[in-house]
Amino acid sequence: MKWNKIDITRYLGAQEYIDTLLIPLVPIALEDSEQMNQVVSQHDLIQAFSNEVEKDFTGRIFLLPTYTYLFTTDREQELPRLNEWINQSQHRPFKHIFLFTFDHHWKKHESKLKGNLLWFPAIQSGDLHSNETQKVIKDQVKHVKELVRSYW
Amino acid sequence: MSEKKQQVSRRQFLNYTLTGVGGFMAAGMLAPMVRFAIDPVLQTHARGEYKAVAEVDEITTEPQRFDWTIDQVDAWYESEVTKSAWVYKDEKDDIIALSPVCKHLGCVVSWEGSGDYPNEFFCPCHNGRYYKDGVNVPNTPPSAPLDVYEHRIEDGTLYLGNAKPRGEA
Ligand code: FES
Repeated sequence: MKWNKIDITRYLGAQEYIDTLLIPLVPIALEDSEQMNQVVSQHDLIQAFSNEVEKDFTGRIFLLPTYTYLFTTDREQELPRLNEWINQSQHRPFKHIFLFTFDHHWKKHESKLKGNLLWFPAIQSGDLHSNETQKVIKDQVKHVKELVRSYW
Repeated sequence: MSEKKQQVSRRQFLNYTLTGVGGFMAAGMLAPMVRFAIDPVLQTHARGEYKAVAEVDEITTEPQRFDWTIDQVDAWYESEVTKSAWVYKDEKDDIIALSPVCKHLGCVVSWEGSGDYPNEFFCPCHNGRYYKDGVNVPNTPPSAPLDVYEHRIEDGTLYLGNAKPRGEA
């Protein structure tokens, strides 16, 4: 299920079946051009990843809008805000919380996160629409789907 | 008298000619505009079109998954959407193309997706199951059979149209 009107209606009518929450984490940068390029690729990729995973498991996964934060802010400082998102989700019958990210800075704080951090090493992607990149992504997504299933 | 009559008709002739040219020019300008205005209306019909999905000789009695893309147009976006079908030949040699979308809450089902249930379609989300013909196994979450694609065969190629609830296709 996605964050839109149609899916929310379906979700509210079938909550007990949707036990898995997916939150993509993506940094934002506006100062440094190099960083901007880097975070934009992360954004593109995480979007493709999350959508693909949601598509196959739409009846069991709820995909939240992307959690964004400044690249320059220490992740330590972001922790309470992100954990508060997760706390809020506990008003719903979610059993599994996955945080998808390409941002390795989270790795260090993994133990303090209230969800399962799934950090993926960045894929070198020039053009997200090229057949080659799509093949690489599809392959990775396959593994991610298996990983998610192993938690169920 | 005859000369006067001639002058009138000459003026008329000029008049007609100019109106004709003007009208022709106006039509030339308007035609594309009209087409722009009408085109989107015409294009919505394209959605119901059939797409070439597989060669008939690739299809066996074992369900195989085929993917293809369509251009989907909704109110705001035009996007490329990947569609899939599980396709096989039944005992009567008829081609069956089933939608992989689970009728419970929409996850994607796989043929023999679980080692525990051979010869069935399996939905990983809540263990929904379907027999080979797409009918839901009783006492599993789905309450309806998998949708069936409308299909057409031309020159050895399988074309699939829309997926319809069983019985309507
Ligand atoms: S979505 Fe297939 S069994 Fe629930």
